[in-house]
Amino acid sequence: MLATGVVGAVEDPWIRWSWISGHADVIIAALLQHIQLTLIAVVVGLLIAVPLGLLAWRSRVFRGPIFSVTGILYTIPSLALFSLLLPFTGLTIWTAEIGLVGYTLLILIRNIVVGLNAVPDEVREAARGMGFRPLAELARVDLPLAFPGILAGIRIATVTTIGLVTVTALIGEGGLGSLIYDGLLRDFKTPLVVGTVLCVALAVLSDLGLALLQRVVTPWARSRAVP
Amino acid sequence: MRLKRILVLGASMVALSLVITSCGSTGGPSSSAKATIRVASFNFSESIILAHIYGDALKNKGYTITYRDKLGNREIVEPSLENGLIDLYAGYAATDLTFIDKRQGAASEAGTDAAANVQKINTRLASKGVKALDPSPAVDQNAFAITKAEADQYHLTKLSDITPAIASQWTLGGPPECPQRPFCQPGLEQTYGLKFKAFKSLDTGGPLTFAALKQGSINIGLVFSSDGGITANNFVVLDDDKHLQQADNVVPLIRTDVLNSEITTILNSIDAKLNTPDLTAMNKSADVDKQDPIDIAATWVKDHGF
Repeated sequence: MLATGVVGAVEDPWIRWSWISGHADVIIAALLQHIQLTLIAVVVGLLIAVPLGLLAWRSRVFRGPIFSVTGILYTIPSLALFSLLLPFTGLTIWTAEIGLVGYTLLILIRNIVVGLNAVPDEVREAARGMGFRPLAELARVDLPLAFPGILAGIRIATVTTIGLVTVTALIGEGGLGSLIYDGLLRDFKTPLVVGTVLCVALAVLSDLGLALLQRVVTPWARSRAVP
Repeated sequence: MRLKRILVLGASMVALSLVITSCGSTGGPSSSAKATIRVASFNFSESIILAHIYGDALKNKGYTITYRDKLGNREIVEPSLENGLIDLYAGYAATDLTFIDKRQGAASEAGTDAAANVQKINTRLASKGVKALDPSPAVDQNAFAITKAEADQYHLTKLSDITPAIASQWTLGGPPECPQRPFCQPGLEQTYGLKFKAFKSLDTGGPLTFAALKQGSINIGLVFSSDGGITANNFVVLDDDKHLQQADNVVPLIRTDVLNSEITTILNSIDAKLNTPDLTAMNKSADVDKQDPIDIAATWVKDHGF
């Protein structure tokens, strides 16, 4: 049966360059939307994760609930989450963002706590000895020293989000995911390949960019050999 | 000092996202008094084509149109219309009626008369602020396809030709909702007495179903009767001789708060001009020849003077 062959149908090539040149505006719009969805998710996720991370780090009472709630959020299948949110949040970008932000929280909060825990106690004691008050100590000692760990969390969250954004194509958002979805629906390889390649490229470039940023803002870490 | 760097970094990321947000937003404020209409489509090419035929024709008359393409299956699209998240989509008389009946906890009333189906939709949806206009002669029904090799081997031309013995050897392929839908697996069981060996959850007459049928991982699959790929793939649609499938004529469903007599006239005259061969040809252009559904719709609108 496999060998019956397709009668009358043209074999679909992996890339139709004519489609790409004719849809440059669509591709660029999808790419921009992808970056927008990712940036909002990571930035909003960070705004929520920093206070929660500090709370989880400082208070044992809150750490358990914060980790378990964000952990549960992280396990909800993305395919279901976006469709479940739809009746409540409507057909807006926020349906996508609520889900995307939810998935960043576990990664970001855990890395903030791990980063802060890695700050040596001697440094903290020295800061106190120099007369730092708690808030100043947090801002000028703890957070800067925890920053490599926090940025590592941001890197993971960003790359994860770039992948997850594609799923929001199911609720009419999706960025590059809308190209992938179009390719799947019509059994059309070109948008599928274009969407996938750009998505991977975006993830790699973002990761490299953030790694570079990490080197720039933590110059003291450069001289130290990383184990 | 480090904190300052972090703050600058954070602020610049927020600023960047705001810039991109403002670039990404589409459509300005409407300049005329004519309403903005949000047109949605299901996740298959024909629906996108129909949505853009309706939308483009209305746009040419000065309405502002925003598209919500490939919004999802009926479970997402129909409630979105009732809840006022969208204003218009191209429905199918019988499938939409059955869906609405089920949503309202009523027995399915869909029949083989398209006009009667539409009337019943309107009775059900009047209180929800939704109206179905005139049904088009264009029909896209669920149908069941097999390969030509199977059709020849067992001499099958219609669904009632399948014997229970054949069915017990066969795997049925269809959308995930098929085991619950009266037009799908339960209908085949009750109307034709066919109990299949297994059911495989695929897509709604899409590439997965076609590939599964071609590779033999299913023996019979749910397809759309107007699908341009059926003949291109050497499949045979079995005749629905016991009328399991109801009259599934294309029909626009629209919110009454945007509806006026001009829109009614435009959409009804589009419906009158649409027909099944056109639909099949347009589907082939989109799914087999990989033309853009949006361009195909624009061509139809231009060719028919809307």
